[in-house]
Amino acid sequence: MHLLLRWGGRLAAIAALTAPPLAAQRVTPATYAITNARIVPVAGPAIEKGTIVIRDGLIAAVGAAVTVPADARTIDGSGHTVYPGLIDGYSTLGLRAAAAPAGGGGFGGFGAPAPTRPAGAPNSNAPIGLQPEIRAIDQVIDNTDFATAHAAGFAAALTAPQGRIYEGQSALITLKTDDFGAVAVRPTVALQIGFQGLGGGTYPGSLMGVFAALRQSLLDAQHYRDQQAAYAKAPRTMARPAYDPSLDALQPVIAGTMPVIFRVSTQREIERALDLAKEFKLKAMIGGGSEAFRVADRLKTEGVPVLLSMSFPRRTAAPAADAEPEPLRLLRERVQAPKTPGELQKAGVRIALQAGGNYTDFLANLRRAVAGGLSADDAVRAATLTTAELFGVADRLGSIEVGKIANLTVVRGADLLAADARVTAVWVDGRPNTVAPPTAIAGARGPGARPGLEGAWQMQVELDGVERVVALALREEDGRLRGAITGDLGAADVSDVLVEANGDIAFVAVVTTTEGTEEAWFRGTLTRGVFAGRVEIVGHATGKFAGLRQNTGSTTDRTRERQEER
Amino acid sequence: MPRSMLSARRALMLLAGLAVTANAQAPRKITPMLIKNGTVITVTKGTLANTDVLLENGKITKIGANLTAPPGAEVYDATGKYVMPGIIDPHSHSMSDATNEGSLSVTSMVRIMDVLNPTAVNGYRSLAGGVTMINILHGSANTIGGQSATLKLKVGRTIGEMLPAGAPPGIKFALGENVTRKSSTQIPGGPPRRYPATRMGQEEIIRDAFTRARSYKAEWDAYRAKAAMKPVKAALVAPRRDLELEPLVEILEGKRFVHAHSYRSDEIVMLLELAKEFGFTVRTLQHALDAYKVAPEIKASGASVSAFADSWSYKIEAYDAIPYNVAINVRNGVRSTINSDSDERIRRLNIDAAKLIKYGGLTETEAFETITINGAWQLGMEQRTGSIEVGKDADIGIWNAHPFSVYARVDRTIVDGETFFDRAKDEAERAARAAERAELEKAEPNTAPSPRGGGGPPGARPTPPTGGAR
Amino acid sequence: MRTLIQSASRAVVGALALGALPLQAQLGSPNPAPGPQQTVAIRNARIVPVVGAELASGTIVFSAGKITAIGANVSVPAGAQVIDGTGLSVYPGMMDAGTSMGLAEIPQGANATMDASEVGSFNPNSIAYYGITPHSAHIGVTRVVGITHVLSSPSGGIVSGQASLVNLAGWTPAAMSVQQKAGLVITLPRAGGGGFGFGGGFGGFGGGANNADATRQREKQLDSLKALIADARAYAQALDASAKDKSIPRPVADVKLDAMLPYVRGQLPVLFQADRAVDIKASVDFASEQGLTAIIVGGREAPEQAALLKAKNVPVLYGTLRNLPSREDDAYDINYSAPAKLAAAGVRFAITAGDGGAEVRDLPHIAGMAAAFGLSKEDALKSVTLWPAQITGIGDRFGSLEVGKVANLVVVDGDLLEARTNTKYLFIDGRAVSLENRHTTLYNTHKDRR
Repeated sequence: MHLLLRWGGRLAAIAALTAPPLAAQRVTPATYAITNARIVPVAGPAIEKGTIVIRDGLIAAVGAAVTVPADARTIDGSGHTVYPGLIDGYSTLGLRAAAAPAGGGGFGGFGAPAPTRPAGAPNSNAPIGLQPEIRAIDQVIDNTDFATAHAAGFAAALTAPQGRIYEGQSALITLKTDDFGAVAVRPTVALQIGFQGLGGGTYPGSLMGVFAALRQSLLDAQHYRDQQAAYAKAPRTMARPAYDPSLDALQPVIAGTMPVIFRVSTQREIERALDLAKEFKLKAMIGGGSEAFRVADRLKTEGVPVLLSMSFPRRTAAPAADAEPEPLRLLRERVQAPKTPGELQKAGVRIALQAGGNYTDFLANLRRAVAGGLSADDAVRAATLTTAELFGVADRLGSIEVGKIANLTVVRGADLLAADARVTAVWVDGRPNTVAPPTAIAGARGPGARPGLEGAWQMQVELDGVERVVALALREEDGRLRGAITGDLGAADVSDVLVEANGDIAFVAVVTTTEGTEEAWFRGTLTRGVFAGRVEIVGHATGKFAGLRQNTGSTTDRTRERQEER
Repeated sequence: MPRSMLSARRALMLLAGLAVTANAQAPRKITPMLIKNGTVITVTKGTLANTDVLLENGKITKIGANLTAPPGAEVYDATGKYVMPGIIDPHSHSMSDATNEGSLSVTSMVRIMDVLNPTAVNGYRSLAGGVTMINILHGSANTIGGQSATLKLKVGRTIGEMLPAGAPPGIKFALGENVTRKSSTQIPGGPPRRYPATRMGQEEIIRDAFTRARSYKAEWDAYRAKAAMKPVKAALVAPRRDLELEPLVEILEGKRFVHAHSYRSDEIVMLLELAKEFGFTVRTLQHALDAYKVAPEIKASGASVSAFADSWSYKIEAYDAIPYNVAINVRNGVRSTINSDSDERIRRLNIDAAKLIKYGGLTETEAFETITINGAWQLGMEQRTGSIEVGKDADIGIWNAHPFSVYARVDRTIVDGETFFDRAKDEAERAARAAERAELEKAEPNTAPSPRGGGGPPGARPTPPTGGAR
Repeated sequence: MRTLIQSASRAVVGALALGALPLQAQLGSPNPAPGPQQTVAIRNARIVPVVGAELASGTIVFSAGKITAIGANVSVPAGAQVIDGTGLSVYPGMMDAGTSMGLAEIPQGANATMDASEVGSFNPNSIAYYGITPHSAHIGVTRVVGITHVLSSPSGGIVSGQASLVNLAGWTPAAMSVQQKAGLVITLPRAGGGGFGFGGGFGGFGGGANNADATRQREKQLDSLKALIADARAYAQALDASAKDKSIPRPVADVKLDAMLPYVRGQLPVLFQADRAVDIKASVDFASEQGLTAIIVGGREAPEQAALLKAKNVPVLYGTLRNLPSREDDAYDINYSAPAKLAAAGVRFAITAGDGGAEVRDLPHIAGMAAAFGLSKEDALKSVTLWPAQITGIGDRFGSLEVGKVANLVVVDGDLLEARTNTKYLFIDGRAVSLENRHTTLYNTHKDRR
């Protein structure tokens, strides 16, 4: 059985890629015992050599002196350590990516985590993007591609629709690949809120509008509550208030019973989220939170936990010889990222970890976080029990205890955080999923390796007949692209890059021309590596832009490239 | 105004206030500062040679000769230098993550306050031009734009610390070419042209909005009357709160300042007449490049003007702009300022003000007023800042030459008694920043992984297993 | 005598003020015509000749458009109009070599007033002279601050066309012209950062391009430019040969190649528009390789290429002093201090407002700001008088108050670069120029309305 764990599993995994689901995984009985393993239950001290018995999807027994039941399929865990299955604190796992729009192919090259834009909710009075009634659990449709998440040790995840403002309600699911119907541990966990305008000329289009729309809809939800209550009390004294699915869905949110996860990263975004939460007494969580360390005091005081992204920024390619220097801010941010988990923990902020969509680097970054000051125990807890607690499932998940769901993460060696540790198996709902080594997993690439908009662009922008050169640097953060422009239009942040329904890519930057400081809307498509489109500034004629990725590597490389292409 | 609504708004303001105080740390201990022996341009009380100014606890506490520095005070020798009030820019789009909510013609519900960016680098560059306070306005994409924010440039601090308590709220209106969008190209397949496309439509939009605001107010009044009746009807529910109309009700009640982007004299007069009809006063006409044609009408309305010193000819409605605009308005008794509307121009408002002496013959003091005390008035902050007077906020620029000289440069900018720009320090820190960059560039996350995927120190990435399977 | 000039210009102004009102609504407005060339002596004035020592009090005399005498004890010729310059200063007229004066009136919403950019990428035969309207309101507004002549350049494409040197007075381009052809404006396809470029425009760039296509596109554009230069050289060679040897046929006349002749022969400079260090370097290298006489226009990051510019003796028309720093980590004064850095490095430069027309009048303040950030006041003055004249090849006739030079001069009541300084008298080409313009006309029309 040892062999099965070590490399027989690889065959199974490869087979799984070609013909899922594996029939063998559906056989009964469902009683297993992992023996001779080091066990880290999280809820209690580590057991250096022990046994875990799994029956019907639950942990039946755990301990150093547990008898293996006669009907159990025994797996020798010698040389391995068993952890509670890791829980990804925020993901889009299982939500099938929206299909690329026909024509243009603008979407096709877009490399950020595929936007899983929900279809509009039926009967909603609110525009798509402002519909809190959207539920991930209604849209979990793809349970076949959990291999990269398994390889990072994840057995469960919060999965959330991505959208614009009210992104929808998340579900806590196990990363089961066989029996799809039973994945939900909790079908609705939290309402996700993002701060992205709706685009396409629909209100709210701007960040300002986002807050006004949120505030209005929360006020409306309160008003709706009062109207419904009044009507329930005395139905014959007033006209029946209209049913509104969006305002209805907001009731547990304004009552503070359903948490709100704000998908935000920078200090000012976090502060905006906290302000809104305070104004409407929302039970807030921060999802992402790369600059949460700057707001640690307030997060602690207000009891707001952080679902911290472990997708740390880093340089992924050598700069071109003549590339613009990277801003200090970015250089600092990359160095800061691994220190953030430890700093938050020390400051008394509750943290749970999320992969940030980057499963390839998750474990390596977890190790970096520990090197950066997070204790090993805290690191494991932040990926297991704390996460379960925050999502209200600690009675069923998050530790190795009798009666809990048998989600287990098995690593070779004594420590998940050791440099040479490798996840060999992930048990989900009492069934083993063997894990192939990272190199064998298709699509296991870091975010930097994805083709798309991320990276450095050189753009030419023509406004009022004057041509300007602008460097655009974009990076992915928590599933969103953001960055900065520098050059002839001044230096400014680029707000969220949106992918519109028609495949257009749009972003806003505040630019300064001789006429003044103004907001410029860039909207274009990415076609064969060229990002080109229009620029709109209030009061100006429509301008145009075209950008190409700044090549990396040496000039000689580029020359060679050109010669080869000829 | 219905009490319930008032209290609701008060609650909101309280909440906003709470948010602000939550951001702020415990009251800062501010080192006193004695500025010695400078030429002090008070703006409101003349220019004083060889004078000291004492700043304590964020306020100007003494002005005079041979003042004694309190213990622990920083003493700044301003011999040969000029001390003037911090420059106030009544029209900026700096330090904000968004400028326009252009999707609708009335977006009074959106607030610049929600999207301020305390880290925007241009704030510091403005400080380096002697500016201490700015009015951050919504853009000019629509007839009734969003709510503005008055900000002190305490760069490096939280937004909560930058928003001066008690600053009256404002809102942006916009008229003319930017709203009618004649310049922009209709994108094929894009959203349809937005109403209004003419200045006639702009009048209609404003009239309609205030008509609705009046009805809204009446709805709340009726509710309050019912709520006051005993016993209260069982099913009485407060009307829906409308964030679009609430600020407009505030305008009708004189509690919110209207800053109206306008160019042509006809649209200026249109707005002034409409405001009169609805019973409010426009606080500032922003740009108002043709204001000189209707200065008597503006004076009569009680509005003020905030213009460019001499920008012109960049679009049709700016073709009649003249650099004498401000002077004509001042001579008509219209309180006037010059503004930047630009992160670039904001750094040289002193030179723009100096031009007013040449174009139309303002006195030196009148010219200073256009970038200090008049701006403070336009933002309702004239009791707090805009001049060097005892008791006022210590918002001060120290210049190495007369601020109206093109050869002048700011040495220090002080906001609420603290130095936020110090040229000597800025120069001294340049080497340190270069060193930091060099150091950071060597750090592992800032170096590219080698082509073979190694990258970083050992163990940084999971290594493929060795042995076992072959 | 003083009153004579004043009343003369008042008469002109009065006529305009009354007669021209209906024209105000038009785009562009008649700028008062200059008076005749006369003999004028300005006495008892501070004289700042820019070349040579300042005179605390002296006399300057000009006649027939040329300066005829300057000195502390110069005798006033018989019949000269005499201006008492007590308390006033005489400076040479300033020059901005980075404008599109007369070519571009209202950029937003009035495209029909924009005549600076031709269609296509290679237009060496477009000459600013033929597009400059003497009635641009910008001209009247610019000259009253003491800017008496400018280089006006076309823009757009790769070879935008030829810049013309004009005085800011005259009712026809011919009357304004100092030098019809004064420089060939080239913007190389953008260098660096991936090595692609749309070549000063988006010409030829199709939606189907990718990175490699764009790289090829840039090379193709460069190749086309090189071919144009090579063809022009061959054309010049053939012309020279046929001139020497009548048996060799003259080449067929070609307008574009004709236009290129003075540039490939090195008689006139090529104005390379470049702001980024990589583009500046590419331009200098290209000029070197192609044997062209280069001037960098814009030059934002020129201090980073100072060594190269000095070594190759390439001057810079620095036009970005008031631009915001282009990177967030740049020092706040990186552009303010650029002229001082160029001066310290020994790079020849002039300061321009970097504006097409309407804001060119800020030129003196911009130069003053350079002095606030490290440039000497003397150099600041030279950077808007003598140096732009020298760089554009008219230094022997313009840029300073010297006997024999063109009488472009301004009489002011203070430091020429200061914003508060008032112009009292303005002479262009030795002609008295009215200080009235669109702005004063509108001012006078409305100022007394109550």
